[in-house]
Amino acid sequence: MSSTTTTLATATTLRPRTATEADSARLRWGRRFQHGGWFVAPFFVLYGLFVIVPVVRGLYLSFTDANISGEHTGFIGLDNYREALKDDLVWNSLWHSVQFTFYVVPMIVVAALLMALIAHHTVHFKWLWRLCFFMPFLLPSAVIANLWWWLFQPTNGMVNHVLGTDTPWLTQKSTAMLAVVIATLWWTVGFSFLLYLAALQAIPHHLYEAAELDGANAFQRMLHITVPNLRNITGLVLALQILASLQVFDQAVVMYQFGPGPEESTRTFVQYTLEQGFTSYRVGYASAISFILFLIIAAVALGRMWLLRKREEGTLR
Amino acid sequence: MGRPGLNRRQLLATAGGLGIAATFGFAALGTGADALTSGARTRVRYWNLFSGGDGANQVTMVDAFRKANPDVAVKASTLTWGGPYYTKLAMAAAGNRAPDLAVMHQGRIPGFAPGRLLDAWDMDLLAKYGVKEADFNPVLWQRGLVDGKLYALPLDIHVQLNFYRRDVCEKAGLLDTDGRLPSATSPDEWFEILKAAKGQLKKGLQTLGLHAHDENFSWWFFLSFYQQLGGTYFNDDRTEVTFDTDKATQVLEFLRKHVTDGYVNVGEADGEAFIAGSPFTWEGNWSVPYFNGEKIDYGAQPLPPVFGTPATHAESHSFVLPHQSDRGGAANEGAHLLAAYMVKNATAWAGGGHVPAYLPTFQDKAYLELAPQNEYSRPAMDHPATEPRVWFAGSTGVLAHRVGPIIAAANLGSAKPDAAARRMRSALAQLLAAKNPMDGRTAAQEQAGADA
Amino acid sequence: MTVPTPTPVMHKPRSTWTPGQIALTLVALALSAVWVAPLLWALSTSLKTPTESVAPPHWIPEDFTLESWKGVLEAGNIPNWFVNSLVVSVCVTFIVLLVASLAGYGFARTEFRGKSALMALTMAGLMFSPAILGVPLFTTVQSLGMVDTYWGMILPQCAPAAMVYILYKFFQSLPRELEEAAFIDGAGRWRIFFTIVIPLSKPSLSAVGIFTFIASWNNFLWPFMVTNNPDLMTMPNGIATVQNSFGIVWPQLMAGGIIAGLPLIAVFVFFQSQIVRGVAHTGLAGQ
Repeated sequence: MSSTTTTLATATTLRPRTATEADSARLRWGRRFQHGGWFVAPFFVLYGLFVIVPVVRGLYLSFTDANISGEHTGFIGLDNYREALKDDLVWNSLWHSVQFTFYVVPMIVVAALLMALIAHHTVHFKWLWRLCFFMPFLLPSAVIANLWWWLFQPTNGMVNHVLGTDTPWLTQKSTAMLAVVIATLWWTVGFSFLLYLAALQAIPHHLYEAAELDGANAFQRMLHITVPNLRNITGLVLALQILASLQVFDQAVVMYQFGPGPEESTRTFVQYTLEQGFTSYRVGYASAISFILFLIIAAVALGRMWLLRKREEGTLR
Repeated sequence: MGRPGLNRRQLLATAGGLGIAATFGFAALGTGADALTSGARTRVRYWNLFSGGDGANQVTMVDAFRKANPDVAVKASTLTWGGPYYTKLAMAAAGNRAPDLAVMHQGRIPGFAPGRLLDAWDMDLLAKYGVKEADFNPVLWQRGLVDGKLYALPLDIHVQLNFYRRDVCEKAGLLDTDGRLPSATSPDEWFEILKAAKGQLKKGLQTLGLHAHDENFSWWFFLSFYQQLGGTYFNDDRTEVTFDTDKATQVLEFLRKHVTDGYVNVGEADGEAFIAGSPFTWEGNWSVPYFNGEKIDYGAQPLPPVFGTPATHAESHSFVLPHQSDRGGAANEGAHLLAAYMVKNATAWAGGGHVPAYLPTFQDKAYLELAPQNEYSRPAMDHPATEPRVWFAGSTGVLAHRVGPIIAAANLGSAKPDAAARRMRSALAQLLAAKNPMDGRTAAQEQAGADA
Repeated sequence: MTVPTPTPVMHKPRSTWTPGQIALTLVALALSAVWVAPLLWALSTSLKTPTESVAPPHWIPEDFTLESWKGVLEAGNIPNWFVNSLVVSVCVTFIVLLVASLAGYGFARTEFRGKSALMALTMAGLMFSPAILGVPLFTTVQSLGMVDTYWGMILPQCAPAAMVYILYKFFQSLPRELEEAAFIDGAGRWRIFFTIVIPLSKPSLSAVGIFTFIASWNNFLWPFMVTNNPDLMTMPNGIATVQNSFGIVWPQLMAGGIIAGLPLIAVFVFFQSQIVRGVAHTGLAGQ
């Protein structure tokens, strides 16, 4: 479970030398693997074509006024970026994505953990809880959006029926994003739930038994054994959810019929880049604003790596 | 970690997956399902955006065409109305994979860079199939021309209407002796009507369906009343914004009052509410088949001319030829034939609520007797309120996308009408300064080019 | 559903229905009910007539009808979308399994020039979903002439850095003695990979395969962007974009949604233990 990578060299030298025959074979083994590039080649053909080339191309396009037909493309320097910094909708839609992330990530972490604790500690019907909590994750985003669009209908939707309210969830600014958040929580919590469940099951049972012998009560056991053992998985869940949430698109766009939501309150950043690229046909400008999000995401990812490294150094010392 | 051997289920799943891949064949992966259905006859690929009642009528018309022209195979594809449709049409044309024929809103033509994403109609071919300019409303025909060439062959005009429930209005004593609702000619008169109708309401129902939160409807309604006040957007050269914020404020206040006075339940499914007994709803004429199907007693008139001059938002479904670098041959001829046939045989289409563009149909006795069409078709043709003719206008276009939400915000009360009007003006100024990404020119430059 | 729990049975006393357990089970039951309710509501709606569906909400259809299901299936598009989804997802899964396991093994067990640079490039790819670079990716695919083709839908989904990383971590954790023994017996590198390593990797490979399949089946954005031809639409795509221009026929919308979701729910019911183990494995690898 450690994230330090054991290199080929250390793994080989650490092993006790036994037979000289095997030893020389091992040397040849190492040498013959000089051609390992062929193993990664197929992947890198695809990766190059569909990840690296688009990144480079996007960077290039962001300095042009390219349109979707590919004609009339001219180099315009930093104009797109200048325009983006002044474009209210860039900041507005970025804010919506961030807002969504702020809402949804803590909700998912808390809900997933609670569900996992419940499922882990019940003795019967574990399969049933797993099935119920995970099932929504298997549905396509478009289905989720249509389903919640229906559930949130003001007069004949189930949500208002059950709550006994008549909130116009999808048509007022104050609840529009919340509706997307609730739908997303319902949809994706199953995945994080399974991660937590797996982590709970991986905690060695003898730790609890020992603590019990020492007279620790259930709450203390939770605090001193469960919580520290879930720290790593929480870091992972947080990272995955933050990265995914900043790139939210499908649910919001289908729930609001490809529109920006009531008073433009649910237009997300990815949606805005695609609107610029595919509705306004401004491929160059769309690439430029994509790169702004690209940089933000990279910052988040690098920040996480830095944190991990700090922690590792801390525990190593 | 446990490593169970390959069990039967996994094996079956893998084998099944491979089997499926093999059945469809990797060779077929490059083409797609429709290549498999092509025959030897002339094949016309035709895209449209009609669903629901429109879709059903469309199928009827295409089927009739197939019967009349058995040697032309029509491959009709229906895509979702709105932004996605135009995106896909533009990309198909840009990528030289365009269909032979497509339907488009007329207001979208300037933004589609005629000549680049659209090909002009071959007038000789159209004439051969019996389509001539004299059979169309001149204003409508003119709007399809760019640089003297026809790009949009109009099928219809469709308008926003005030649908009213006869049964409810009757009880409120609002109908005249013919059983029709007299048009309100001032905001006060209109609100009097609403007030009277509200008295007859079943509990929980709204008085008027206004689509108050919807960016498209909000824009269409605004456009109608703003034109009633004589408002404009840009000067003729497209160099200046002439948007009148006072008039706009007046319209926005009028729209907002429906919500503040409690005639509108925001977020209601307006069409369904109308069927359930709401006295009024403002909808497109495409709702006619829907309401007819529900067997309710209703009438439909243009949006009330509360600011004097009658005007109600009108768009036109038109046939266009998406750009193909090698346009010509049998498929092109088939496209002309199909479009000509549909324009001339639009009786089913007219029954679906749309006002036929083809005058012989429009003046046909059977059409003139059709209700509720006979209540609105003439004023729709005579007093259309249309979007300004610029590249960013047109159904679900950039303009609607920018100003629609501002109007909706004013409707819902989160923006003051006068502030919203100023925001609209600045959005218009931004758009006027923006370049059409298709040709790198601003609206003014395009206008100058067109004049030259 | 009679899949037994794959996790080791707790070493708890056998008298399991303690008051605490009863309370916990009730809480779990309530939460499960909340989680399943939306799906049941969808099912209930799909069995109502359009008129009844917009009447005041009630769970049991008074006017039970299968019309909407029939309508959706007869509309002719769903079988077509279904086949498209299946072709795309099966191909993506197959290609990903092949290239990701090769690459993972290459990184874990072989040496070659530029390995660390390529590894770093792959790691960098972990942070992005293709959505963020949708526009340049589209123009790239456009210039390859793959717009409106199955290949255009499939290939861009076939370079997931995450899957390479997961398999890389897994291959690293395998004891190398078996491979070395085979090597001494004269087996070549590729034979070792296909006859020894792959059979040892089934849990990881099935995890990667299942998640690739789910992701591909549910992928909405990419097929939406890259296909203009409605005949090439995949299931999520078709479901999202086919609505009425006036009023929405809720029962049909719900029936269509359930049809789109059923295949994966069936997969889950059959492969529940593999999926759970797969997530566990993925998660632990990612820590």
